[in-house]
Amino acid sequence: MSAVPYRRTFARLLSFLRPYKRGLVISIVLAIGSQAAQIALIWVTGRGVIDQALVDRDTTQLWLYVGAIAGLGLASSVMMLGRRLISGKQALDVEMDMRQGIYSHLVRLSFGFYDRHQTGQLMSRATVDLQGVRFFLGYGLIFFFQNILTVASVTVVLFFFEWRLALVVLAVTPFIVGIAYRYSHVAHPTLRDVQQKLADVATVSEENIVGVHVVKAFAQEPAEEEKFRGRNEALFAQTIRANRQRATYVPLLSFVPLLAQAAVLLVGARMVAHGTLTVGSFVSFNLYLALLVMPLRSLGMWIGQAQRATASGERIFQVLDEPEEIADKPAAGELPPGDGEIRFENVSFSYLQGRPVLEDVDLALDAGTTLALIGHTGSGKTTLASLVPRFYDVDTGRVLVDGVDVRDVTLASLRREIGVIPQDPFLFSTTVRENISFGRAEMTDAEIERVARLAQAHEFVERLPQGYDTVIGERGITLSGGQRQRIAIARALAVDPRILILDDATASVDATTEAQIRAGLREVMSGRTTLIVAHRLSTIALADEIVVVDDGRIAARGTHDELFEKSFVYREIYDHGLLERQFADAVEARGDVEEVA
Amino acid sequence: MRVYQHGGSLTRQRGAEVEDWSWNSTRRRLGVLWRLTKPYRLRTFFSVFSLLAATATALAPPFLAKYALDDAINDTTGEKLVLVVAIFVAAGLANWGMNYVETYMTGWVGERILADLRKQLFGHLQKLSLGFYERNRAGVLISRMTNDVEAIDQLVTDGVTVLAQSTLTLGGTAVLLFVLDWQLALATLAVIPLMSVGTVLFRVRSARAYAAVRERLGLVTATLAEDIAGMRMVQAFVREQRATENFRAVAGRYRDANMQTVVLNALYFPFVSFLATLALAVVLGYGGHLYFAGAISLGTLFAFMLYVNNFFDPVQQLSQLYNTFLSAAAALDKIIGLLDEPPEVVDRPGARPLGRIEGEVRFEDVHFAYGLRGGELGDEVLHGIDLDVPAGTTVALVGHTGAGKSTIAKLLARFYEPTSGRIAIDGGDLNDVTQESLRHQLGIVPQEGFLFAGTVAENIAFGRPEARPEDIVRAAKTVGAHEFILRLEDGYETQLGERGSRLSLGQRQLVAFARALLADPRILILDEATSSVDIGTERTIERALRTLLADRTSFVIAHRLSTIRDADLIVVLEHGQVIEQGSHDELLARRGLYTSLYGDWAAA
Repeated sequence: MSAVPYRRTFARLLSFLRPYKRGLVISIVLAIGSQAAQIALIWVTGRGVIDQALVDRDTTQLWLYVGAIAGLGLASSVMMLGRRLISGKQALDVEMDMRQGIYSHLVRLSFGFYDRHQTGQLMSRATVDLQGVRFFLGYGLIFFFQNILTVASVTVVLFFFEWRLALVVLAVTPFIVGIAYRYSHVAHPTLRDVQQKLADVATVSEENIVGVHVVKAFAQEPAEEEKFRGRNEALFAQTIRANRQRATYVPLLSFVPLLAQAAVLLVGARMVAHGTLTVGSFVSFNLYLALLVMPLRSLGMWIGQAQRATASGERIFQVLDEPEEIADKPAAGELPPGDGEIRFENVSFSYLQGRPVLEDVDLALDAGTTLALIGHTGSGKTTLASLVPRFYDVDTGRVLVDGVDVRDVTLASLRREIGVIPQDPFLFSTTVRENISFGRAEMTDAEIERVARLAQAHEFVERLPQGYDTVIGERGITLSGGQRQRIAIARALAVDPRILILDDATASVDATTEAQIRAGLREVMSGRTTLIVAHRLSTIALADEIVVVDDGRIAARGTHDELFEKSFVYREIYDHGLLERQFADAVEARGDVEEVA
Repeated sequence: MRVYQHGGSLTRQRGAEVEDWSWNSTRRRLGVLWRLTKPYRLRTFFSVFSLLAATATALAPPFLAKYALDDAINDTTGEKLVLVVAIFVAAGLANWGMNYVETYMTGWVGERILADLRKQLFGHLQKLSLGFYERNRAGVLISRMTNDVEAIDQLVTDGVTVLAQSTLTLGGTAVLLFVLDWQLALATLAVIPLMSVGTVLFRVRSARAYAAVRERLGLVTATLAEDIAGMRMVQAFVREQRATENFRAVAGRYRDANMQTVVLNALYFPFVSFLATLALAVVLGYGGHLYFAGAISLGTLFAFMLYVNNFFDPVQQLSQLYNTFLSAAAALDKIIGLLDEPPEVVDRPGARPLGRIEGEVRFEDVHFAYGLRGGELGDEVLHGIDLDVPAGTTVALVGHTGAGKSTIAKLLARFYEPTSGRIAIDGGDLNDVTQESLRHQLGIVPQEGFLFAGTVAENIAFGRPEARPEDIVRAAKTVGAHEFILRLEDGYETQLGERGSRLSLGQRQLVAFARALLADPRILILDEATSSVDIGTERTIERALRTLLADRTSFVIAHRLSTIRDADLIVVLEHGQVIEQGSHDELLARRGLYTSLYGDWAAA
């Protein structure tokens, strides 16, 4: 990373503190106050207690000074307490702001972004990187400032006490900071690698345990042990490397300040002996020195921290700077009322430039009709359907809903009129009720039950331990593919959409249920325009018309009988596979039925 | 090894319940740890020795400072001073050296013990039978290998050192203070009870507060993960605003919990700092009086001040150790429990390796019941299975879930032993041969084609690691996987990610087929996948299946009509019994259960 963007990222990180200027200023004032009290306290110890009270053998003075020390200690502690409360709260607020900032941006990023990025990657930005930044912004900066303050003020005081001794001390400070920085610098990649190796070991054992059938079936236990041994030894070697670094640097960091102390002891005591330094000053000087060591060490650490926080910040900003590809136009209005007519005009689309997925597609769907899209995997049928709710924008051409270009209306008004039943019916780990009313939170229980009945979900939901209040995924309550699909159908129906988009599930649903779903679908499709991305014969049967998509183009359109006559692709798909799956389903279905009975 | 982990330690929950603190179990725990250090006794000795020496040398400087000051005041020649400072530097150097040795040795021994423990655990897991894995959830076992070992890690490497060092420092300092002046020592140490009470109170509360923080941070992470994974649905159903509000609420609760810890820390650390000042005030006030009385020198007073400065760290460190200690003991108990688990299926004494087999399989009145946790038998799931399968036959096992299809397959692989009856291959009882020699001639293809992280080639060669690259390619070609493998970015060397996540379901199945084919088993057990793949892949899979099943005895838990139709022998199972068996045509002619299952679709 070059210096300029580095500095810019750093400055941008600091901008997160802007709303908290007042708290920041108060924290700094309190930190200074607390520090001043500490310095004064040591001053009183040397110049007051030792040089005056003890030398004069004056009990009253002694108690006065001791009282002052306790008072200063109390004052310092109280200010420290205030500082910690204020800056601690502020650190949490900054963290909250950043987290919320990332989230609200993620919510606005388009499908294309989520196609390009894996959940794990994004999670690591929003958790690991955020953690690094928040520690630095929240606590690091304050500590950093406090350390600098301590070092600076104590150094000044040292010079004030005895400049020659102070020079001795000053000579070792760069070493302490340097060594601490160096350690933080070398240790970090090593420790990160330790983490990586730990993860490797975990992966091997996890897979071994989960895949135990395979391991045993192929009698590969010895080979697995060998594989594990390799990873385990690699981890050991890496931890030893980290350990050696720790052994090299940490004891050294205790030793170097000791040298300064020895020098001060030698020179200072000589000066005391010659009467050029008071005993009290000598004592104070030593106590100041002890005050200096920790901040000097931390300074080195924090410099390393700041670098890493900036690198983390960089990665977070990459997400925050990701443009909203699909957003409302400034003048976008609501989608006007209509019956749900869909038209694709000369639509071309590609996920990656130069690799068209759809080319020159012209397709019109009358309101209230049902159209099945079929084709091989990768033919573009799912993509075509995703253009209607504007999950992606076309490259050229237009997509019209009730005569209006989908790009000219607000996303919210468009998507509210479209019910989507995705191929993988993603449900959230909350109650069945909330999953169904996902798109329309204000639904009544009666309404929820009505759509669940339509989707053939009511019966099995009733049989769940807490009915509609059962939390999906909790305490081992998992739903079968067919059940999840039915909830997804209910969820889509709940918004009472003009247009339904159904991406046929690949999960196996038994034949009885499938018949039920089909009956339900037939009912819910009436009066709506429906686009089915079909993988099964039975779903095709629901459609008024079928469109064969092949290699990004419309290859044929017609009814089943027409297509069977004229489309080779259709015949191929029809002849193959679909029937046989149903046999397996029938066999499984018998099992389900009997288990329930 | 304490490893810096961004937030990792925060999200991980760690149970710290230890029920049994009796002497016997404590001795057992210590015994396990002691045995682990056994190969490394010399290093352990060095580590203990250097620890003692390092602590002792660290205590010297304030004591020496006393002499430096007293000398400076009384003796102006300065000869003694040079000597004192020389000792001071020497003590520092010794401390440096001993610290180095201690850090390195303790780290080494600790890490070595852990590596050994992990290896021992893994080795033991390899010996355990399938029944064990079916009774215990994978997540729990994985946690033994990771979280529990790590909990011990913290104790073994850092905890032990801190425990010893802090205790010695505390004791040593107290002793030295008493040596310097017992009266002043007594007065100074008076703050210790106050400090201890405050620290214990703080620890208890902050442990609770941090537990809440961890829990709520876990919720934040979980919410975030789910929302990112389901973002398409959030957008499709126009839930952006509500999702954002929900997330704000979750994150807000986390912040509130965290505020608790901020308050506790804000109270505790200034409190400790104030106590340190208080101790200094006591030293100066009472020490001043003693000085007036001529009982102590200024140097002694000085040494007291320096000691007081360093006195509070060990107390805090010790209090932090408590949790580490509990977690480690709990983790150790769980690990010992796992190591004590005996394997169920073991080779009989005198078991012989199975020679190359033809593949004739007989089940003779086989009954079976799964073992339960605690060694009892569950309900019988197979009631007298009789099968006679000539070598080279393809057997399709048909029946609904729970009918006993996969149990038959598992018995054949001797993952379990029949409760009564006998299974014979080429006439020899399965129980009389070694498991390894049996499984070398057996191939199993699980339902969704479980793959491992590693390259495609490694996965295909899983059953025959010594296979040459051209053999691997030939196997892939035979099942029709070669083409898509070549299209991957590194071909056969492409890393597949955990559980083969880079590949589609159909592709994973094909790789699993190639793996089975390369192992070239005499008997193949295949669990057909139920989820559908696209038509192109479907056809490839069908073709691959035919190749795979040819020329060997195969048991297929069948879902595909084509597979069932093509089988030489169809075995229809219901409730753990064979209802019908025969070929497709024979069974149809019989008009029994098979016909009723098949009839629905025969006409379609």
